[in-house]
Amino acid sequence: MLRFVLSAGLALAFSWFPLHAQDSLKVGDLHEVVVTGTGTQHLLRDVPVQTEVITAKMLESYGGKSVEEILSGLTASFAFSEGDMGSQMQLGGLGNSYILILIDGKRVHGDVGGENDLGLIDPQNIERIEIVKGAQSALYGSDAMAGVVNIITKKHKDSGLYADNATRYGSYNDLRQHNTLAINIGRFGSQTNFQLQRNDGWQNTAEEWAEGMVLTDSKNKTVNAFLNWQLAERLTYRPVKDVELYAEGTYYKKEIQRPRNGNHPSCDVYTYDLRYNNASASVGGRWTMDNGKWKMENGPLGPKGRLTPQEWTMDNGGRRNYVTFDLDWNKHAYYYDYTAGTYVTMRLVGEEFGPMNGEWYPVKMKAGQSRLQSDQQRTKGELKGVFYLPWENTLNVGTEYRYDYLNAPDRTSEGNASDWTGAVYVQDEFDKLEWLNVTAGVRLVGNQNFGVRLTPKVSTMLSVGDWRLRLGWSQGFKTPTVKELHYRYLHVMGSSTFFNIGNTDLDPQTSNYYSAGLEYRGSRLTAAVTGYVNQLDNMIALVNVDDGEIPKGITTAYLGDGSSKVQARMYKNMDNARTYGVDVTVGYQVMKDLKLNAAYSYLDTEANLYDTSKGKMTHVTIDGTAHHKWNATAMYSHAFGKRYKLGVNLSTRGSSTRYYENNGNGKPYQIWRVNTTHEFPLQVSSFRIQAIRLELGVDNIFNYVDRTMHPYHLGTTSAGTTVHGTVAIRFNTGKNVKKPIFTTKSKLNNNEED
Amino acid sequence: MKKINAMIVAAMSLALVAPAVISCGDDEKEVITKTETIENLVSEYTVNDKLVAAQKAKSGKDEAVLLVAFGSTWNNAFLAFDKTKAAYEAAFPNADVYVSFSSDICINRASAGENPDDNGNIVKRDYYEPRYLLHAIGAAKYKTIRVQSLQVIPGEEFAAVVASVKKFMNNGYISSAHLDDEYLAQLAEDEAIFLGMPLLNDPETDVVKVAEKLNALYASEAAQGVVAFMGHGNPDKYDTFKANKRYEQLEEELQKLNPNYFVGTVDMAKNFKQDVMKRMQDKNINSGKVYLHALMSIAGDHAHNDMAGKGEDYWDEEEPTSEDNSWFEFFKNNGYEAIVPLKGNHPEGLLELENEAAETVILNVWIEHTKNAEYLEDAYHSMYPEEE
Repeated sequence: MLRFVLSAGLALAFSWFPLHAQDSLKVGDLHEVVVTGTGTQHLLRDVPVQTEVITAKMLESYGGKSVEEILSGLTASFAFSEGDMGSQMQLGGLGNSYILILIDGKRVHGDVGGENDLGLIDPQNIERIEIVKGAQSALYGSDAMAGVVNIITKKHKDSGLYADNATRYGSYNDLRQHNTLAINIGRFGSQTNFQLQRNDGWQNTAEEWAEGMVLTDSKNKTVNAFLNWQLAERLTYRPVKDVELYAEGTYYKKEIQRPRNGNHPSCDVYTYDLRYNNASASVGGRWTMDNGKWKMENGPLGPKGRLTPQEWTMDNGGRRNYVTFDLDWNKHAYYYDYTAGTYVTMRLVGEEFGPMNGEWYPVKMKAGQSRLQSDQQRTKGELKGVFYLPWENTLNVGTEYRYDYLNAPDRTSEGNASDWTGAVYVQDEFDKLEWLNVTAGVRLVGNQNFGVRLTPKVSTMLSVGDWRLRLGWSQGFKTPTVKELHYRYLHVMGSSTFFNIGNTDLDPQTSNYYSAGLEYRGSRLTAAVTGYVNQLDNMIALVNVDDGEIPKGITTAYLGDGSSKVQARMYKNMDNARTYGVDVTVGYQVMKDLKLNAAYSYLDTEANLYDTSKGKMTHVTIDGTAHHKWNATAMYSHAFGKRYKLGVNLSTRGSSTRYYENNGNGKPYQIWRVNTTHEFPLQVSSFRIQAIRLELGVDNIFNYVDRTMHPYHLGTTSAGTTVHGTVAIRFNTGKNVKKPIFTTKSKLNNNEED
Repeated sequence: MKKINAMIVAAMSLALVAPAVISCGDDEKEVITKTETIENLVSEYTVNDKLVAAQKAKSGKDEAVLLVAFGSTWNNAFLAFDKTKAAYEAAFPNADVYVSFSSDICINRASAGENPDDNGNIVKRDYYEPRYLLHAIGAAKYKTIRVQSLQVIPGEEFAAVVASVKKFMNNGYISSAHLDDEYLAQLAEDEAIFLGMPLLNDPETDVVKVAEKLNALYASEAAQGVVAFMGHGNPDKYDTFKANKRYEQLEEELQKLNPNYFVGTVDMAKNFKQDVMKRMQDKNINSGKVYLHALMSIAGDHAHNDMAGKGEDYWDEEEPTSEDNSWFEFFKNNGYEAIVPLKGNHPEGLLELENEAAETVILNVWIEHTKNAEYLEDAYHSMYPEEE
């Protein structure tokens, strides 16, 4: 009841503010520039591919501790639930394996159970987030059937030294630490980032359905304790004016600690923790060609200074062809860290094992020892170019090659598996007519095991004044991953035990995504309604199968006599699945200092699965989906003189019932949150301290806690009311400190951008 | 300015070197090597060897009985294994009795948890891995060894028990954990290693005997309605010794005593709950009471959820024969009065069944198998009764 009163209250608040516009007011995200959908710079209002943006302003005002919190709080499209290995993400009803998460255009590597590790993303280092739904973009991969989330990170390019620190602390020993050190001298640039995230985890209920009864002293947590940290280094070098080269490396480590004090072997006793190690190395470059003649009439060539290639094009009135190349190597390794003696069934291979050579045998791991579960390595090369052609054509061409290698001694029959995929894409943006933009592309994907497939994508945008009508159609093509093909492992989740099995008989998944969106972007009011249908064929899912599918040799360890049940599950192509929905977003600039945003998302899903044992089609709901999701935010910020700026962010988010095939549905919920920011600009002699910023906030103000017992599903894993505080400081030294503190990056003339 | 430059250079070098140093230092030691695997194997043999040697020294007995169950993580099962062990100690006063689990997960979690015993005392539940324990029994040089499978049918799990005994007799261990060959030769010469067969091993004798005992226990129920037993069974692919047949043979024997008995499984093809109902309907039993009992050594997940599960989580009308639907809901929704007899809120497994009258105690069939166990060689050859 409460949530409905509150929703109604917020709706009232919206209508209470006067709707008549002050024409002089030009603030908000009117000037937000996006790149994800087309690979070229567009003002958000004029981007042909429907793009949702979480702006720097929203991020700062909201003060989210993690990408999960940001995406669930600032858009209505994402849903998260908690698994034993971290959070599980959904976009438009589809899981993480259909969502392409990019950091600066590069796909995040490594998954556990199909879930990317979002801890790899430092929330304090995000400049903005762009979301493009469906497989609309030819540029990144046709496997992004649900959509693309592109995290654009902050780049510090000012000459001299830049450093910042942000430390956030909150309930449950939640600590988030962020540091940047950037140095730019002449043609060299270096940026070092460090981030740390930790939390003690929490328990919403001690009740658990196990051993045929309700146990009341379960130690299973709702969210497990974790610690992760990352060190990243990026070096840039400009050998000549128009060429920028970079080298980048990251190292990341995450530990998930599971309860140590459980008493019930049936559900809350664990003998190992989980650990992930990521590392990456990349080199690449960008060559911007000095051939902006075609566009000279539209604006000056722009400043030539030490700008990033992105800023270069962005700040540039004229458009210049460019070519980029990237070579990446990524590693994502996953370990069990044993906390007590644990028998592990492993295959003994080698002469050293004498008569036991080749046998699957239980080896007792000791507390303190670790065992590799999987090591996913990816090597990827990409070459692409953007060419501005006559008659307002923008051509985007590229090629990509990717090699995936999986090393999993206990989890594949041969110990390892590999796969390669190549792609070539062409996309053209035709913008000759003032009222029409057509962007069409094809991506040709070739895979070692699954042949070649061409996937077309078309987006059109009709513009009339402040109105935009966007229509899109795209095809997706997703070959089974190495893991879906070859990986098999025992997945113990509290009282449920599964044996998940890869399937080499899988077929690629294909999709057709249709969308139509109407948008109004006035000076104060922005509103958009988008409807979509995503039709997936051969969708791959883990499906319950006969125990007989468990591979020979390891069966006896897992086939019970009834005392402990292990459910065998195998990756199978579901016959088809369809998701359809409507997204509505509204933004209203009430006054210069106050902006309201609201989003609502309706979703419906159906999936059909052919049940071989019964010889008929069964109809299932896609797990974790809810029909209605919504959120709303009121952002207020005001500078009191030159010494203090206050920001207040009041937000709410909610969801209707989340549906699951097994273990009950998740309850509907609505949660309220407030965050305040306090910025104090400072200046201290030789170091120029830009500002000290304090942040104080309360999440889940009305202390809503879903106490549904384990292992049933929760609507939200929120721990109830939590508080947090942040202290942030940033300073720099050097000659080119120009960045004003209190203004957002703005370009007042819309025509400056293409 | 110089200072700043120096600082910058230092910071850059640090930033560059740090990730490399951390990643090298951390990663390498974490994949256990072959040498470490061997060390782990040897040290676990040693731990088991010492434990058994200590027990043998304490008891002074020359005979060992090794019980091999699949295992469980449920406390009611632990209590049932306690009773089983006690019954064996009473039946074999001259032997040390050990209980082992063939499921790694069950051993791991049982030993890390804490559970109350029958008197409410918190006890540590250490169960052993049969392969290690058998090694330890050999290392302690017991003169007589009886390995008893606590399985119901001679199926896939039993095959693993057979394999580990064979391995033991052939000294199939890594060189640093070899047993004394002379001792093993002596065991063979003395014909002193015995393999006790699963509950329903022999279709002529065991099946008949178990049918009689079950009838003695449930005759009163069978007089009022159907008594349906839920066994486990092997999936077709792993029906190693064609042992699934035992369930059909048991039903046949039981029906000689009362036509109201039926035996189905969760894993055996064409003998699921819907097949049981079909057989009932063929006999024109379309309504009335259906008493449900587990035909498994202990009552765990299958008995509590697949058999006795109640409520909407266990019933999907659109898919009545779904394996997620419980037997209870299945029969209830098909017009029968489903009843799950409980003892202390739990259905019972075969090892848990207690009755004053010795002739009804199913555990005694296993104990008889242990007593009458044949020397391994013959047992091994008689292992494939149905195989052509």
